[in-house]
Formats: sequence, C-alpha cells, structure tokens
Amino acid sequence: MIKTLFKKDALAGLIEAVRKDGGEFVAPTLVARQASYKAVTDAAAIETDYIVPQNSFKEVLFPQSEAIATFKEAGTNMAGVEVNAKDTVVFGSRPCDAASVASLRSVFTWDFVDEFYTTREDKAVVISIACTKGDSSCFCTSVGLAPDATEGSDVLLRETEDGDFSAEAVTDKGKTFVKKHKDVFTTCKAAKEIAIFEPVKLDKVDLDKVGESLADTTHYDNDKMWGDIARKCIGCGACTYSCPTCHCFDIVDEGSFFEGERRKNWDACQFDFFTLHASGHNPRDTQYKRWRNRFMCKFKIYPGKFKTKGCVGCGRCVRVCPVRLDITEVMEELS
Amino acid sequence: MKYAREKINKNSGKDSPYLPVKATIENAEDLTARETLLTITVDGGINYQPGQFLMAGLPGHGEAAISIASPPARAKTYTIDLCIRNVGSLTAKLCALRGINTIWLRGPMGRGFDMPPRGEDILFVIGGMGIVPARSLIKAVIKKRKSYGKITILYGIKTGSELLFGKEIKQWQDSGAVVEITADAPEQEWQGKQGVVTTLIPPLDIDRRRTTAYLIGPPAMYRYVVVPLSEKGISYDKTFLSLERRMRCALGKCGHCLIGGVYVCRCGPVFSLTELTDMPGAI
Repeated sequence: MIKTLFKKDALAGLIEAVRKDGGEFVAPTLVARQASYKAVTDAAAIETDYIVPQNSFKEVLFPQSEAIATFKEAGTNMAGVEVNAKDTVVFGSRPCDAASVASLRSVFTWDFVDEFYTTREDKAVVISIACTKGDSSCFCTSVGLAPDATEGSDVLLRETEDGDFSAEAVTDKGKTFVKKHKDVFTTCKAAKEIAIFEPVKLDKVDLDKVGESLADTTHYDNDKMWGDIARKCIGCGACTYSCPTCHCFDIVDEGSFFEGERRKNWDACQFDFFTLHASGHNPRDTQYKRWRNRFMCKFKIYPGKFKTKGCVGCGRCVRVCPVRLDITEVMEELS
Repeated sequence: MKYAREKINKNSGKDSPYLPVKATIENAEDLTARETLLTITVDGGINYQPGQFLMAGLPGHGEAAISIASPPARAKTYTIDLCIRNVGSLTAKLCALRGINTIWLRGPMGRGFDMPPRGEDILFVIGGMGIVPARSLIKAVIKKRKSYGKITILYGIKTGSELLFGKEIKQWQDSGAVVEITADAPEQEWQGKQGVVTTLIPPLDIDRRRTTAYLIGPPAMYRYVVVPLSEKGISYDKTFLSLERRMRCALGKCGHCLIGGVYVCRCGPVFSLTELTDMPGAI
C-alpha cells in the first residue's frame, strides 16, 4: 500500500515554505520547560516529547485579547478593525484539541457570525499527530474521541518507527495543503507505525446519562449535591483558560476617552463578577453555581444547543486544577 | 425557542456587529439624585419593540445594556429615551456628561414585548428601575388606549425619592390607566401607600380570561409576585417577565447571560412565565 509520508527532516522546509508565503507556523515549543503552542521560525525549536501542550491552540483562532474597534478624537470617532488573520499552520496538535474547533465554530456562527473567529479558522490548517503516549489525566476515549481521531484535523500524522510520520489528509483543506507542499509530503510503501496510546476508558462514564441527568432540571434544587461536588473549587478559572472549548469573553475599552481600543478579552464563568449585575444582585452568587454552569455548558449546552462536543477529554482542567477537582469524577457521579 | 433574529451582519469594517453607531444626546434631564434621562437621536432612526435594549457606551468607558425607555414611533428620525442610573464608571459618566453629546449605540438587541391582543385588560407589576422598560410599553399601549380594556399599573419603589416619571404617571392616569404606587421603606413625608408591590395584587379585580400581565422589576420581586398572580388565575402563557443579566456582546457569544442554554440577550430579555418554568436559575 502506498502511503503519504511526512519526513521529520522535511519540517524545516515546510516551516520555510509556509513562512515564505507570509504565513505563520504554530507548533509545540518549550516555554518555561513546558510544551506550549506558539509561533515558531525554526524546526529545532519544535518540541517532540510532550503529551498535550499546556495551552490549547484555541488562542490561535480566538486570541486571548484582540482589538475589535478603535476610537479617537475624544469619543467622537470610532472605527471597526479588519481581522488581521494570517494563513496559519498548527503543527503537532493533538486530536483532542483539533476536535474542539467544531465546538468553537458552532458558538461563533450560530445567529450572528463572528468573523473575528471565522476568518482565523478559515485560514488555519490543523496538522495533528496521533498520540503515542498519554497520562492518567487523558480521557478522550470516555467522551467519544480517540488518540487517533480525525475530527477537526485537516491532516493527521501517525509516528512511524523510523521517526517519520505517515500522513492522512482528512479534509479538503488538508488535501489542498498536502498537494501544495508535495515536496515535503512524499509517498512510500507502508511504514511501520508506532502503536497508539490508549487512555484508560472510564467505564462508569456514560455521556448520554450525564446529559439526561442534566436535562432533568430537578438537579437545580439539589443544592447539596452540587455543593458537595464543587465545595473544593476556589474559582480561580484555570480550567476555563486552559480548556479548548471554553469561549467566554469580556469586552473592555483600553486607553482613555481620547484614544484607545475596544478589545475582546477571555473571561471565565468561574469568576464571581462574571454574572454580577449593576444592581449588586448576582444570579450565580455561590461558587458551586458557577461550577455547575461550566459543567452544564460542557455536557448539556454544547451537545444540546450546538450539537457539538463540549468536552474533548484533553484532561487539562484535571491537570491544572489547584484543588484536584476532577471533572471525570463528576461525570461518573452523574452517569 | 423563538428569538428576534436580526439580519446576519458581516463583521469586517463598518458592518461589524461589535461596532456601535454614533448617536447624539439632545437632552439630559436629572430625574432623581441617581437617575438621568437622556434623549437621543440616531440618523435614520432605530426600529425597535418595547422591551428591547441597546448596548450604549462611551469610548474609553465601555458599554452596558440599557433598556429603551421610549415607545416605538413611526417617523424615520425620532428620539430614543434612555434612563441611566448612576451605579458604575460608565453610568457615572453618562449621568454627568459635561459637554459630551456623542453616545455610541448597538442594537436594538433581544426580543421585546409583543403588543397585547386587542380588547385585552393589561396589568403591569413594576418594581424600581423596571419602570424604565415598562414606560416603553405603557406609552405604546396608552397611544392605542381604545384598543384595550382596563389598564392597571402597580408600581413599587423603595423610597419616595426614587419615584421616576411622576408627572407622566399623572398623564397616564388622565388617559384612563389605574396607577397604584407603593413605597417599601418611605420617608416620613411620604403620603402614599406603604408596603411592597405584592400587597397591591390580592385586592385587584382581575378577569383572568382577558388579562395579560407584564412583570418588570428586580429578581427578588419576581419571586414574590408570581405566586399571588397565578392565584388570580392569569395563565403562564400570558404573563411576561423581563430578565436582567450582565451582558457584554449582546450577540449570543460572550456567555455572560447564558442560563442553561438560553442566551438572555438573544432569546430574551422578555420571556413568558411558561418559558421561564423550563429555565431554572433564571429568577
């Protein structure tokens, strides 16, 4: 069988080709000793020994802070901002992160279309590498994904024993990309692929049952259950910032009345002032209600309203939580 | 769930749904120590329903969701009233403009009140700042006074000094609306009724078959008003509430106003009580 092969040595050539066209090449690279998605210029900077990067690549599609309007002349002049999106290649993404793209798109395109998001996403090519290792926080198989799932990836790479990758172009965008860079995507006879890592499947987790438990709104009256579940939560918001599907943002003006920018900045539903009214009333006045909101968002709102995955099982929220409030334990409890 | 769907805006350049339009403040009148009524004109006008809101802002100070206080008009260029309570940095600025006469608006946003069916009796139960979005509907209803039956307005305030639109309320009474005002914790010189707005409901004579109720007030009021109203037999389908939420984008994206899958900014802020019974956490 003839397969498309992506040779590891070809990486430098690919980075150069992408950058020559004015594009950006994003890949895991070490930032403070942790693999993080970041724009790179040099193949040597790309980290190969990682499970999942500490950040998700949503910040490539939906920046942590971006200008949406500018103003000047003492508040009398305000203008829109053209979306400044480059052709971007996200290389070395994990299949869980790639799967979150459809989720983000569903939020940013229902009803109004947010072109700040869609323009960036349309210009991004996601090249994922199937996982050959993982850790105890990985749980993609429990949310209906797999370490070699193709959902959301334009090209999926699988590591071979020679250290190269066999490539599968998944989408049309991916096929066009492979064709365009045919000097780095070569063909060969089937190379032996390294076995895929299988995270432990949490047998007790049944997503349908979690959805049913949440759809039965009587759980809102069960303050004790939610109080017990989220008692540990300190509301730091680390889970939301690291989550590839969390999409909440704030709109703030930076600068002064005379000149400045209106910006979209990431926000987190775990903060107490996220829902605070001007009157002082707060509809989600306690931490367990805010934690419940995030859990509802993942397992009821995304699958119910947007028909997409709210949780991709990347395990970041489990890894970063300072109080070890493990979302999978709650999924088990509600199954 | 139904929601008022606007045309899908392109986001680049001047068509961005995040980009406000410039409007002119024609007049600013202090109504009380805390509230200021701004009269605004927008070129080309804005078509809106009572109960809808605008994202009103000043560059450098941010934006906030502000209810429209005036009734819709037919003319192409007409004025919009926004009643601002001074509670934060943006509203403080809007209440003390000092020579600024430009305000930036996005909207109208959300789903407002549908006009009640012809011949219907109308009951308003209003608490505090709820009078602001209510005024839009009340004035629209009074314009078509002959199309409706009894119009009853129950208005609860904390203290007499918080009474808004006092002069207009007299005009509403002159055009045949029954208005009852009660103050919860009034000053000594308060002449009117004392107590919370719920106490005004039991003595009412309501024909449940032909009454539509509009509840507009703080969440605490809703909790106590819903029970006496349903005891009067008004159906949940004909009881409408306007919810308050913190909002940032008002486009169903930013997540602040989300209640279990319902974006208040797009599907609301007006909901029937039937819709709200499926939305725990809303009130």
